[in-house]
Amino acid sequence: MNIGIIKILLKRLASSLLTLFLLVSILFIIIRLSPGDPTDKYVSAKLGNELSEKITEKFSLNEPAVDQYFSFLLNAIKGDLGVSYNYRLPVFKVVWEYFSFTLVFASISFVLQIIISIALSLWIIKKQSKKLDRLISNSSLFVYSIPSFVLGVALIYLFAVNLNLFPISGLKSLDYENLSFFSKLLNRLQHLVLPLITLSAAGIAMFYKYIKEGMDEVLHQTFIINLRASGVSEKVILRKHVMPNALRPLISVAGVELGLLMSGALITEVIFSLPGMGRLAIESVLSRDYPLVIACVFTAGAVIILANFLADVVKLKVDKRLIKGILN
Amino acid sequence: MKSGLKIIHWIIFLWLLVVIIRYNLVVGYLTLFFNYIGLLVKDPKAATTVLSFTFIDSVLSTLLLLIIIPILFLFKKKWTFLKGKLNFSFAFLIALCFVFLFAPIISNENPEFSKNLAVTKLLPPFSTVKMIELKPNGDGVISEAEKFRQRMDKIIKLSYNDNIIFADSLKLSSTVKYYQKHVVKEIPLEEILTEDGLPVVKEKFFLLGTDEFGRDLFVRLIFGTRISITIGFGAVILSLLIGIMLGFTAGYRGGLMDILLNRFTETFLAFPVIYLVVLILALFGSSIFSVIIVLGISGWMSLFKIVKSEVLSIKQKDFFSTAELVGLRKSQLLLKEILPVIVAPVLVNMVFLFSNIVLAEAALSYLGLGIGNSYPSWGSMINSGQQYITRAWWLIAFPGSGLILTLFSVNSSGRMLGKIFNPRLKT
Repeated sequence: MNIGIIKILLKRLASSLLTLFLLVSILFIIIRLSPGDPTDKYVSAKLGNELSEKITEKFSLNEPAVDQYFSFLLNAIKGDLGVSYNYRLPVFKVVWEYFSFTLVFASISFVLQIIISIALSLWIIKKQSKKLDRLISNSSLFVYSIPSFVLGVALIYLFAVNLNLFPISGLKSLDYENLSFFSKLLNRLQHLVLPLITLSAAGIAMFYKYIKEGMDEVLHQTFIINLRASGVSEKVILRKHVMPNALRPLISVAGVELGLLMSGALITEVIFSLPGMGRLAIESVLSRDYPLVIACVFTAGAVIILANFLADVVKLKVDKRLIKGILN
Repeated sequence: MKSGLKIIHWIIFLWLLVVIIRYNLVVGYLTLFFNYIGLLVKDPKAATTVLSFTFIDSVLSTLLLLIIIPILFLFKKKWTFLKGKLNFSFAFLIALCFVFLFAPIISNENPEFSKNLAVTKLLPPFSTVKMIELKPNGDGVISEAEKFRQRMDKIIKLSYNDNIIFADSLKLSSTVKYYQKHVVKEIPLEEILTEDGLPVVKEKFFLLGTDEFGRDLFVRLIFGTRISITIGFGAVILSLLIGIMLGFTAGYRGGLMDILLNRFTETFLAFPVIYLVVLILALFGSSIFSVIIVLGISGWMSLFKIVKSEVLSIKQKDFFSTAELVGLRKSQLLLKEILPVIVAPVLVNMVFLFSNIVLAEAALSYLGLGIGNSYPSWGSMINSGQQYITRAWWLIAFPGSGLILTLFSVNSSGRMLGKIFNPRLKT
């Protein structure tokens, strides 16, 4: 059995690496196809063509595209995607600084989404009220339909501008350094409340739909009736039999949801001007800092590939039946 | 809403609403159209020079408005959905379609029109300002084409008009004194446009208020709807083409092609779509077409999966192998044998895709990477409104709620369609 698991994992790893390779290749193709010559900005009436030719020579831009592709791949493997025009630093250094925030931010939101949606669907199932069920399921569709930037701006209007409960933007107050440890923490939390609601709302609605549907399906199966007839308490049925079965499809959805989360985080970071990778990407796009944009895209893609890989691993761990299915 | 209300009733109601409120404008467009035909007969060369996109657009909308009701009654029996029950999402979507088709009739203003910023800046909804019109200068002998152009400009408003003045209040005596905030200006009475000997002082009404450039929010919302729906349709059709082509190839050929295409699709699914879109738009520049293409390219994956799995199952069926043996070409197989079978799941998926794309377009415009400032767009309206959030809630509330209602209606219609086509699904 162990060998089987390793075999599957290796297979998945290989296909993840292949996807990563395709990602890098597509990035290269997009850059190559884009209009404009990178040396154009070194051409002027005073300089003439000399400098631009020198640059072309220096960065091997005159080599055939295939050679360039291989050196691009080689550098990407080494973790070198160039130097940011604005920051004058290797791009991954810049990206890492901003990415750590996005990672923490998105993870908190992810955990919140799962906990709240599970709690909500459990509560609804316990209540056993058709009306409430309908209300929540309809309003979940409505919440799902609210674009994050509309929600974010509306929240700012309500809670930050009108009620003055939370700060409008940023990650810490101006007097942050003078605060005690506890109020520092509180300050951070206050700044994160609105962004977290903005980022999590749609995800909660989506997860709720999946979990609720999964639970409904399991509840209607015969083994549940059997358990009930044998006198097992509702609580135990829910916790031990319904939940694990209903959560199984969630894991594969979660992998896909991470992609949504990354783009959601991008918009949320822009709304609340938080120092994350999404805002970095947008800012570098608007200031035409291409190496940095490419590094951001690459990092985001790599994270999603990694997350999908992890989701598969977790799925194998949870559901032993899958291993048999894949091996046969 | 009453249960007896049907979709066709709602359509007729909206039609009557447009025709009654905009009766003058419809007549205006029609006379313009006949004038144009007259000009075409007299001077074909000049006629081509006065032609503009907005003119064609307005005339087409008017003609469509006139023929849509007879068409509905002709096809009443065939199109059974017209007799379907009306609910909120359908009502909203049909209203959206009306806005999309008849935007020039609903408003003949130009969405970019802005004048006298001191008076019109950031007006709340339901506000009015005084408006006076100056006499057009230069009444010499002019050609037919020039005459037509003047007539056209009267009906289809331009983005700039020197002869219109907005004012907070004004006084008429031997001269016209008007107030623009704290500035008082004076012009002789003779310069003002008169009607039956009396100077014309109109009231300009802003239903939804104005934005930071004094532009009418209602008009911008109407034309923004058009842009969003155009992009949505364009991108959905592009995704459909890509998804069906690749899905058919992968499902029909199988083997290596299948594996390769699957990997390709996985890559696209792994891409953080918004980053990809941002990168492409940054490198290639953004216009309506590039936005449509990029969003179309980034949305075909689910269609690919559906088409592929359906083709795989259809391949086993008898009717398909018969068709193959008869010797139909691949394109015929796709069009005649496969498309009719997969139309239901594909349609449902397209509805959801449409809502995703409208959302993505709005998000892009919000980020400042959409179709740019040359067109009004819901997302960019919200983006510019965010700067004035403390003073002008209407800048965000109207485009925002338009967006939410659109997405909600599309999503819930998609769910309903899914239920109709696939009754085994419960929720």
